[in-house]
Amino acid sequence: MLVRNRSGVLSRVAGVFGRLGYNIESLCVAETINSRISRITLVSRANADFTDKIKKHLDRLVDVIEVTELKQEHSIQRETILMAVTLTPDNRRDVMQAVDMYGCKIVSIRDDYCIIENVANRGETQTILNYFKPLGIEELARTGLIALRQIQQDAGEEQ
Amino acid sequence: MNKTGADIILETLAREGVEVVFGYPGTNCLPILDRMSDSPIKHYLVRHEQAAAHAADGYARATGKTGVCLSTSGPGATNMVTGIATAYMDSTPLVALTAQVTSDLLGSDAFQETDIIGITMPITKHSFLISRVEKIESKLQEAFEIARSGRPGPVVVDLPIDVVTAQYEGTVKKKPTFAKKKAARGREIETKVREIARRLNEAERPIIMIGGGIKLADACMPVSELIEKGRLPFVTTMMGIGSVHSPNGFNLGFIGTHGSELANRAVHQADFILAVGTRFSDRSTSKIEQFAPLATIAQIDIDATSIGKNIKSDIALVADIAEAVRGLTPLIEKKQRSAWMDRIATERAQIEEKHLSNGFGQVASFIGAVQGIMGEDAIAVADVGLNQIWTLRSWRSNTPRGLLTSGGMGTMGFSLPAAMGATVGSPDRAVIVFTGDGGFFMNIQELATISYYNLPVKVIVFNNGHLGMIRQFQDLFYDARFNACKLGDKADITAIGQGFGIPSEKVTLADAITAIERMKQAAGPYLLEVFVDPDNYVYPIIPPGGSNIEMIYGRPK
Repeated sequence: MLVRNRSGVLSRVAGVFGRLGYNIESLCVAETINSRISRITLVSRANADFTDKIKKHLDRLVDVIEVTELKQEHSIQRETILMAVTLTPDNRRDVMQAVDMYGCKIVSIRDDYCIIENVANRGETQTILNYFKPLGIEELARTGLIALRQIQQDAGEEQ
Repeated sequence: MNKTGADIILETLAREGVEVVFGYPGTNCLPILDRMSDSPIKHYLVRHEQAAAHAADGYARATGKTGVCLSTSGPGATNMVTGIATAYMDSTPLVALTAQVTSDLLGSDAFQETDIIGITMPITKHSFLISRVEKIESKLQEAFEIARSGRPGPVVVDLPIDVVTAQYEGTVKKKPTFAKKKAARGREIETKVREIARRLNEAERPIIMIGGGIKLADACMPVSELIEKGRLPFVTTMMGIGSVHSPNGFNLGFIGTHGSELANRAVHQADFILAVGTRFSDRSTSKIEQFAPLATIAQIDIDATSIGKNIKSDIALVADIAEAVRGLTPLIEKKQRSAWMDRIATERAQIEEKHLSNGFGQVASFIGAVQGIMGEDAIAVADVGLNQIWTLRSWRSNTPRGLLTSGGMGTMGFSLPAAMGATVGSPDRAVIVFTGDGGFFMNIQELATISYYNLPVKVIVFNNGHLGMIRQFQDLFYDARFNACKLGDKADITAIGQGFGIPSEKVTLADAITAIERMKQAAGPYLLEVFVDPDNYVYPIIPPGGSNIEMIYGRPK
């Protein structure tokens, strides 16, 4: 969603979900190139009817400029995660191998502990988390998805 | 000369056409009040902030202008919450100004501080906390624009005292640009309208369903023309009563839980319904699965969230109603549809017979007598409960702003302060309050306001010593296990009225004519306490969970 960068806008957006009884799984917000406009990327689980309803309610908010649903097939979606993983003599090799295999980055490390960063789409992120979980994730920070509409390669190409 | 924030507030209000403000002061409010003394805007001092909001609401409903109320911070602001919620549910254009503690103290639990923006978020169209004096003018202008555009609604403007007292040199005269919400325009309207016209012309049993939205859209005339041209029978919702005056008897009444049986039965048999300016509230539809089971439904509304919310509409058009209907009428054919009209006439006759054998007649005659004596042009303001339904069913409203009531929120105590607002806004029309003893006590302090300003509000209190509708429900659906519905008769309402300086008298339903005449002759306010038997209920009604055609006329077997 594109919204006017005014105090309270996030409250109102969250309020719409709260009032309709739906949970926001993740939310990422920041200014766009135009500092008066912010982009909110929000993930929530719902069926088609509800998505339609929530779009209308969000659209009705005075500070909301535009609401778009971004389907996976038609957008570039990315999430950054930071995992704090414990390092033990037992898991050290597995952790390093996993980092290698998935192309993650170790951004901080100590004998017993490291922080691993990864940027990927939703599916890949989940795969990585599933893999690292049994190895021992102490703490996890996620940005939630950000996304932009995919570029159409051909003028006539069907989306 | 240096201007302060307060000066800018008053100038902006004046530029927006504000002539009156209903309010109650507090220390954080004083800078604004001080500047108001030198402005042409008149401040009406109420006796409770809730009444300030209801009065501004009543003013807006009676005139179509945006109502303005003003309270201080903290408890003053929270006292307006019910009034703001009432306006929100019925889409009234309202700007609620709340004074606020100085910006530095925000969030510190200062004296009389409250986060009114946070509290009212779900019940306002939008709100502003003004943080800088340079922003006052543009935000206040935007507040009015938001309140009255599209689907109208209340906007709260929170004004910290330091911002209001700050000095300001600049001259911000340019109108701020607001990103306009997209409503359907031009070509898209045309396509949908043609589709609606086709279906409407083909329909054998069409009904037009009119909600409160058409008066808000200033679309009463276009809709009226559509109805007359197509010879289309219509029903209204509670909020739509009076919007269209049909000399040809196309008006079948209002639908819903407490509506007219004829209207409900007609909708049930309709094969096509064009709904304009209504949100299909649960009060109108009753059991949704059984609402208009045979009908294709087309809906026109300015607010997308009202479309397909409760009822799936087969054709949906998000557009300005006046514009859409003006495009529709030329495409509508005048049809006789005699089978349908005959069926309606038959139903009407059958239902009238049922009504004649009902004890409801006395109250209806009384209300009819009041209207006869006070004049067709009078505005009736109904409270909530039995008194409301009696009024809605008996008062013949031929103008969209002739019958005011709290429909969406059903706020008891709305009528007295709303009537104050109505008479201030429409001083040339008589204003009559119909309330029960329950609602009467909720904002009873406003009798002092009415008396002080000598507002010619005629107050009729149906005194049955009970919360009548609660009593009816407990009687019919809870095996007559009455609890918390008896108010008693210790309080002498007539003495109370006189104690507030308002001429008051007691009457019975059977013997009221001369009292009503006296009420009419009185130049100022007047109060009639009308005794009603507590067993006098409202019939027919739809029992909870029932469908629109399951109306009952007595205790369920």
